[in-house]
Amino acid sequence: MSAALETYLTRLYLDTDTRRAFLTDPRTAAAKAGLDATDVAALEQIDRVGLELAAHSFAAKRAAAPRRDRLARLVARLRCLRWR
Amino acid sequence: MRGHDRVGLGWRPELAAGILGHLDRIDVVEVIADDWVGAGRRALRAVRTLARQVPVVLHGVSLGLASAAPVETRRLDGLARVVDAVGPEAWSEHLAFVRGGGLEIGHLAAPPRRTATLAGLAANVARARAVVGAAPALENVATLIEPPGSDRDETTWLADAVAATGSALLLDLHNLHANARNFGFDASAALGRLPLDRVDMVHLAGGHWITARDGQRRLLDDHRHDVPDPVYALLMELAARAPQPLTVLLERDGDYPALEHLLGELDRARAALARGRAERAA
Repeated sequence: MSAALETYLTRLYLDTDTRRAFLTDPRTAAAKAGLDATDVAALEQIDRVGLELAAHSFAAKRAAAPRRDRLARLVARLRCLRWR
Repeated sequence: MRGHDRVGLGWRPELAAGILGHLDRIDVVEVIADDWVGAGRRALRAVRTLARQVPVVLHGVSLGLASAAPVETRRLDGLARVVDAVGPEAWSEHLAFVRGGGLEIGHLAAPPRRTATLAGLAANVARARAVVGAAPALENVATLIEPPGSDRDETTWLADAVAATGSALLLDLHNLHANARNFGFDASAALGRLPLDRVDMVHLAGGHWITARDGQRRLLDDHRHDVPDPVYALLMELAARAPQPLTVLLERDGDYPALEHLLGELDRARAALARGRAERAA
């Protein structure tokens, strides 16, 4: 059931409402997401500080990401013109 | 096989001119593969031109190999196209998952360290090897959260990942340092438990401390700060323990200082390698 756990972790990292519901009642929220008993038990012991910081860090990364590949390609084209 | 250690820098648009102007002090350049997936032939030709001037390695950030879910074929095909066009010495990816249920996390998430993830990783690496033509070196990731659902510690996970895939290890020493600080283990002792004979590339970077609402602090690997002293110490230790030549790459992803400052960090890396090699020879 690792794929199901990854999917649920992804939702925990991305979605504030999912995270809030989970932190209020981890067992119920994880079970409702269809995770098996082993994963539910693992999530009950989750590193709450880490979850908060990871979610914020991932959000910051997503916010900073969009322009990168466009800039990289623009520079490459300029360099390409210089080298021709 | 290479007979000597090398030290290089991650290619970033902001650093491009400086890198090209200082190739006499940069042995190797690491290019982010994902920046070029979907790029036109002209842009890819520019990277190939770079690869003719200096050894280039490609670094992937979005395959999500360490996952129970299979990597999509279109992502592997896109990477294969870049590898084919550039002709790098090697390529690498992370021991991370980056998506789930069709949603993109937007960065590297540490996976549950357990057998099911290992099986998915091995299958994904085998497919990557088949599509791309070479297996990636696998990089340990930094994490702010103890990966839920894990049944083994980080060093065991890394050793198991290398054994399950047959891949080389790209050892990010700042990631190891950050995880050690965040989760209370000794980075030096952890280094001693890793399969160091499988390390071929090394990443160096920096980070900063962040604070949670309850006041607890964790070290974030942000690539926006200088490499801290303990990471150079780990590099020296690695060079003292590992017999094979190492390719050491500095990663910087923002708050860029003058290139001379980054070259100074490369010099410090060379000095750490030299001290480690001297210790090994003694």
